[in-house]
Amino acid sequence: MSEERQREFAKWVLLVLGSILLVFGVAPRPVPPELQGAAASASDYPLKIPLGLIDPEIPAANPLTLAKVELGRQLYFDKRLSVDDTVSCATCHDPHHGFAQSEAISIGIQGKKGNRNAPTVLNAALFDMQFWDGRAPSLEEQAKAPIVNPVEMGMPSLEALVEKLKKIPEYRISFSEAFPDGITVDNIARAIAAYERTLLAGDSPFDRYFYGKEENAISPAAKRGLEVFREKGRCVTCHEILSSFALFTDQKFHNVGVGMDKPNPDLGRFLVTKEEKDTGAFKTPTLRNVALTGPYMHDGSEPTLESVVELYDKGGIPNRHLDGGIRPLNLSAQEKKDLVEFMKSLTSPGVEKIGGPIPSQ
Amino acid sequence: MGKRLAALVLVAVVIGLVALAYVASGNSSPQTDRSAALTAGEGGDQAGSDDRAFKLCDGETEVVISVPSAEKTGKMSREVAEQVAARLMQEWTIQKRSQGDRGSLLLAHKGEPHSRREMRTWDAELDKAVKEGYRLFHDSSLGTNGISCDMCHPDADDTHPYTYPKFQTQLKQVALLRDMINWCIENPLEGKRLADDDPRMKALEMYILWANKGEVAVPGKH
Amino acid sequence: MGRKVSRREFLRLSARGAAAAGLAGLFGGLGSSGSRPAEAAPRVEPFTFAYISDTHLYEKKLNMRFVRAIEKAVADVNALDPQPDFVLFGGDLAQLGQKGELDLGREILSGLRAKKYMMVGEHDWYLDMGEYWRQLFGPDTYSFDHKGVHFVVLNSVIVEDYWTATKMTPMERMKAMAQLDNPEGRPFTVGERQREWLQRDLAGVPLDRPIIVFSHSPLYRYYKNWNFWTDDAEQVQALLSRFQRVTVIHAHTHQVLTNRIGNIHFHGVLSTAWPWPYAPKGLPRYTRQQDRADPFDQFDGCGWGTVEVLPDGGVNKNYHLWGRKKTAVTYEWLSTVNEAALPDPYQVGPHY
Repeated sequence: MSEERQREFAKWVLLVLGSILLVFGVAPRPVPPELQGAAASASDYPLKIPLGLIDPEIPAANPLTLAKVELGRQLYFDKRLSVDDTVSCATCHDPHHGFAQSEAISIGIQGKKGNRNAPTVLNAALFDMQFWDGRAPSLEEQAKAPIVNPVEMGMPSLEALVEKLKKIPEYRISFSEAFPDGITVDNIARAIAAYERTLLAGDSPFDRYFYGKEENAISPAAKRGLEVFREKGRCVTCHEILSSFALFTDQKFHNVGVGMDKPNPDLGRFLVTKEEKDTGAFKTPTLRNVALTGPYMHDGSEPTLESVVELYDKGGIPNRHLDGGIRPLNLSAQEKKDLVEFMKSLTSPGVEKIGGPIPSQ
Repeated sequence: MGKRLAALVLVAVVIGLVALAYVASGNSSPQTDRSAALTAGEGGDQAGSDDRAFKLCDGETEVVISVPSAEKTGKMSREVAEQVAARLMQEWTIQKRSQGDRGSLLLAHKGEPHSRREMRTWDAELDKAVKEGYRLFHDSSLGTNGISCDMCHPDADDTHPYTYPKFQTQLKQVALLRDMINWCIENPLEGKRLADDDPRMKALEMYILWANKGEVAVPGKH
Repeated sequence: MGRKVSRREFLRLSARGAAAAGLAGLFGGLGSSGSRPAEAAPRVEPFTFAYISDTHLYEKKLNMRFVRAIEKAVADVNALDPQPDFVLFGGDLAQLGQKGELDLGREILSGLRAKKYMMVGEHDWYLDMGEYWRQLFGPDTYSFDHKGVHFVVLNSVIVEDYWTATKMTPMERMKAMAQLDNPEGRPFTVGERQREWLQRDLAGVPLDRPIIVFSHSPLYRYYKNWNFWTDDAEQVQALLSRFQRVTVIHAHTHQVLTNRIGNIHFHGVLSTAWPWPYAPKGLPRYTRQQDRADPFDQFDGCGWGTVEVLPDGGVNKNYHLWGRKKTAVTYEWLSTVNEAALPDPYQVGPHY
C-alpha cells in the first residue's frame, strides 16, 4: 500500500476505534447479570429475602440503593461517629456476636454504661418499632439516638456529627453519590437504615425444616422442642411462627417480671406511654440467632438459654404487673433441653458475613 | 266429574305446598308431615285400595297413588291429600334433578323421602350425641383445675364455631373449632389435649355447633 | 283582663302550691326523664370505696389461677393512695361453698389494709345454706351508714327450694346452683322476708339521704337463662325509688354493666376469676360493652374497681380492667343521657 493510502487507512481505523471507545465510554453501563431482575433503574438494591422471612417495608422517603447501602456500611463500622472516636454502631451491635454483644449492658464511650442490653440488628428491619420500649417508629429514628446518647456515642448533637463528617472527603463524595442534598442528619440516618435493611438473617436449620420441608434439617430433640414451643410452653403466642414466615415476635409489650424484684426497676414501655398496664413491659424480642446474642432479656440478666427457660418455667418473676399470659409451665427436664435445642436451630448460616465485608478502619 | 275434582284437589294441594314451603325453612316438621302422610299410604296393595292418578299443574308430572277405596272418588281426606301432595312433589323434584336442576326441596336417599320412624330415630341419635357433648362441656375433668368449658361459655356462648376456619391469635395459625377446643383444654383448663378423632372431641364439637344453630357461617371473621 | 287575686286568695293559692311542691319533693325523682332533681340535692362528704368480687376460689391444691387473681386484686387495692374508705366484697368468694375455699378467701382478704364489708353470692351459700358464711362473716342482710350515705347489703340469691323434694345432696345442690346455664335453675329473688326487712330498714331514712344497695344479682331483669335476674326486682325497686339518689352496685355478671331504671342507677362489678360474655338478649342500652377477653391472658376481662361517692350522693363507677385502659361511668353521664339516643347494643360490637 502506498504511504498516503496507509495514512488514509490508519485514520479510518483510528476514527472507527475512537468512535467505538467514545460510544462505550459515555454510554450507560450495561446492568451486570447479578443485578438484573431488580425493578426500574440499575441503582436499586436487589434485596434477597432469605427463607423464612418476608420483605421489609421500605419507606418511600428512603428507597434502597447500592450507594446508600455502601455508605451505610461505612458509617455503621465507623468509630468516628462517636465523640472520642472509640465507639461505632458495630461496637455494641457486633457482627461477630450476632450483631449484638456479649456484655449484659453495653459499654459506651469512656467506659460509661446505660441500663439495657443491646438487641440484635439482624432482622430489625422487619419490626414496627425499635428499642426495648418501642420508642422509635423506624430504623431511621433509632439510628439517631445512640449517636447523641451521652453514655453511648456521646456526640453533643447530630448537627455536630454532620460538621465532623463534612470534614472527611470520602464522606463528602459518598454522601453526594447517595443523596442529592449530601451530608444531613436525616441522610446519615437513612444511610445507616438502608444498610440495616440488608441485614436479613433467615435460612436457618429451622427454616429449612419448617418452610423448606427438609425432614433432617433439625435434630429430633429440636423437633420435640418445636412442639413444646407451640403447645405446652405457650411460647408461640408471643414469639410468633406463622405458616409462611417467622419473626418470632408479636411486636407487642409484655411484663415477664425481669428486673421488677430489684430496687428502681426499669419500667420499660410505661416510660413511653405512661399507661399503667405497660409497667415493666418490654417488646418481645425475636429469637432468630438467639444462640449468638446472649446474655438475654432487656437487662442482660439471663446468662444462658437454659436460664431463660427456667425463668419462664417457674412463671416469670412475680410483680403486680406480671402479664396474665405468664404462668408456671411445669416442663420436664427433657422438655426444657429440647426447647433449648430448638432455639439453637434458629441460627442463620454465615451471620458475620451478612451485609457484606467489614470495612477496614 | 272425577277429573274436575282431581283438578280442584290439585290446585288446593299446590297452594298447601306453597304454604308448607314457607314454613319449612330449617324446620323438619313439614318433612315429617309429608313422611307421615306417606307412611300412611305405604304398602300399597292393601285390601280395599285403588289406584288413582294425579297430574300436577305443570301438565307433565303425573303420579299414580294407591288410595283407600272409600276415597277413590269425592273429596279426599286430609291425610290422603297430603300423601298426594308429597308424591307429586317428590316426582317433580326427581324429574328436575334428572334434568340437572337441584330444585328447592332436597329429598335424600334415592328419591325416597324420610319416613317418620327414620326422622324420629335420627333426631334421637343426634339428641344423644349432643347431650354427651353437653355433659363434657360441663365436666371439669377435661382439665386439672376445676374449670369446665361452660364457666366462660354458658350455653356455648362466645364460642363462635361459625367463624372457623380462621387465624386464631392464641395458636398463631389458621385453626378449626377442634384446634381451639384443644387449646382451651390445655391452657385455661390445664388439661391434656384430645386426639382429633377422640369421641369426646367429636361430642364437644357436636354440642357447640348445635348450640349455635342458626348462625351464618362467616369463616375468617374476628 | 281577669280580676285581681285578693291577698287572702293569694295566700291560699301559694299555700296549696307549697304543699304541692312539698309533695312533689317527696315523690321527686320518680319520673323516667332522669334529669337531675332541682335544689333539694343531698349533701354528703365525698368518699371512695373499692370493690373486689366473684373470686370463685378453689383450694390451692386444685387451682392456683384463681388464687393469683384475688391476690393481684388485693395487692392493687392495697397500693391505692389514698386508701379507700372500705372495700366491698361482692360475693362468690368460694366456687363450691366449701370450708377450705371460704377459709382461703378469708385469709387472702384479711391482707387488705382497708376495712371490709362482705356480701354473699350463690356459690358461697348453697352448699350449707350459708351456715359457714354467716359464721365467718356475720349476717347476710344488714345496713350501715357512712358519711351521710345509707348502705344496704342484701342476699339477692334466694331461690325457691327445689332440692328437698328431689332429695339432692348438699353438693348436688351446690353444683346445680354453680352452673350458670342450668336449665333446671330457679330465678334469684330477694324474697318477701328481706323485702319486709328492707321496708322497715328504710322507713326511718329521710328521702334525701343517698341510698347505695349492694346485691349479688342485678336487681333487675337482664337474662333469665343465666340468672342475670332478680324475679322480684320491681317490688324491690318500688321500695327504693322513693329516694332521691339510689344506686345499686351488684356482682354476679362478671362484666362492665350499666343500667338505669327510673331514678335508680345500676352498676355491675368485675370478677377477678373470669369474664362472662354479654347475654344474647336483654343487655341494657346504657352499657358500653367491654371487649372480648383473650383467653391466653388469664387476667384479661377481669379486675376490680372503685366507686366514688359524689357530694350530691351520686356515684362515679370506675372499672379497673387488668391490662386495659381504665373505664368509668359517671353519674353525670348516666343521669342525663337519653336512652333512646344510645345505640342498640346488639347492633354494635362486640357481639358474642
